[in-house]
Amino acid sequence: MASRPTVTIAGADGKPTGATYPLPAVFASPIRLDVVQQVHTGMAKNKRQPYAVSEKAGEQTSAESWGTGRAVARIPRVSGGGTHRAGQAAFGNQCRSGRMFAPTKVWRKWHQKVNVGQRRFATASALAASSVPALLFARGHRVANVPEVPLVVDSKTFENAALTKTKAAVALLQAVGAGSDLVKVQKSKKMRAGKGKLRNRRFRQRRGPLVVYNPEVDGKELVRAFRNIPGVETSPVFSLNLLQLAPGGHIGRFIVWTSSAFQALDQVYGTTTSPSALKKDFLLPSNVVANADLARLINSSEIQSVLRAPKGEARTKRVNVQKKNPLRNKQVMLRLNPYAAAFSKEKLGQKAEESAKPERASAAFLNTLYEA
Amino acid sequence: MAANVSSDLIWQLTRTQNAFLVKRNSGGGSQFSRDPLNLENQHSFKYAGYANTKAVGVQPTENGGVVVITKKSSNPQQPAKNVVSVTYGPNASTRKIYKGVADKTAKNGYRADIRESAVARVSAIRRSQKPAKETPPQKLRGAQAKKAAGKSE
Repeated sequence: MASRPTVTIAGADGKPTGATYPLPAVFASPIRLDVVQQVHTGMAKNKRQPYAVSEKAGEQTSAESWGTGRAVARIPRVSGGGTHRAGQAAFGNQCRSGRMFAPTKVWRKWHQKVNVGQRRFATASALAASSVPALLFARGHRVANVPEVPLVVDSKTFENAALTKTKAAVALLQAVGAGSDLVKVQKSKKMRAGKGKLRNRRFRQRRGPLVVYNPEVDGKELVRAFRNIPGVETSPVFSLNLLQLAPGGHIGRFIVWTSSAFQALDQVYGTTTSPSALKKDFLLPSNVVANADLARLINSSEIQSVLRAPKGEARTKRVNVQKKNPLRNKQVMLRLNPYAAAFSKEKLGQKAEESAKPERASAAFLNTLYEA
Repeated sequence: MAANVSSDLIWQLTRTQNAFLVKRNSGGGSQFSRDPLNLENQHSFKYAGYANTKAVGVQPTENGGVVVITKKSSNPQQPAKNVVSVTYGPNASTRKIYKGVADKTAKNGYRADIRESAVARVSAIRRSQKPAKETPPQKLRGAQAKKAAGKSE
């Protein structure tokens, strides 16, 4: 890295304040989609509530098998008489009103442990992805009007409970160019398909920007200002969560940083060589290749100088060309038939046939022929 | 672009899943893209405008003109300043638009490889903006024609 890139800090009106800050080292960590997705699947499982069917379901009858000899299957059958239920099969998973196959239990393994090293790697990866505009676009965020990615807003906007009203919070987001992302979220609200409607998950909607703040400097009042804006989430910089940084395992969340939170990132994550101040035994992961630009690598003199020359002719074989008729196209004929030039030059094609009748064989010849 | 990202990496990360990708079973499983900077609406690295640092998009405008969008390769971190758009009005000559688009795409080492599709897209948009011709009334044939002829006499 020749010079560390800097990020300008925007004011409350969206205009640059003039202050800049060097890009924290976490944004240079490797973007590993596979790690993010694997950690996300594990972590997403840790908010599940146990569910199961009743222990007794399908087992609340005193059915006994009739045994053989009654020309019916040997499944347990409900005893007694006087009701339609008597004599019906019971218990089996194939039976009407029987127990289900392998009844679900509340002691299923609901949660999954994800190694802390992997979680930290995935978080660093997701943060690095959040600073790439192309990945934000690919995730579906409307960031075409955002002045800069990563987007950092001056902490003076939030300090001492300066931002407590949702109206002001919306105005701030619109000023920094996040307005179209809010509109996208509002328009995306749809009724959920299926039973989830009855289970307090009535609507689905997209995710908007994530506001990351530093609770020590910015205070926590801004959380209340932002929390009723559809799609907007807030998170303190000291406890960033992969489920918010890469919802659904899709990297490239649009993040609005407060300047103090942005400056705290180097303290939280450290660099690739100096360990983090807050996470025990954590160094940022390093990139395996220093330059990820494949085209530049291939065309570099270091690579090109050790490659052997390409085999074969310099010309390419022409495919899908129109077939030319050599009888009509003279150039094609000349290529195919070396005699054609002389043939046409001598005008052999136009010459008349020499004589009408073949000459009769001489008598001497015939004598020699029939002598034997 | 930072050292840890490149166009190739972005494409590999978003190739299987992205917001612009349209995957349907119909149409033989072909994959399309809704990217405004995609000239062919085709899901491929060559035409993926969001992934490439240099890209061209051609879109119709509401008043019947054409707008040509190009990406600047100089400041990829500033999305608001990253695109240049040139608008051609509805009365602009189609040939002049072709020339403008072709020059913008292929000159100065921009993207000579997509010049042809850029011009083709302008052409397709211009054609779609023409007012639709009314279908002529069907000529009567056979008994109906005789009847009509008899009436007019």
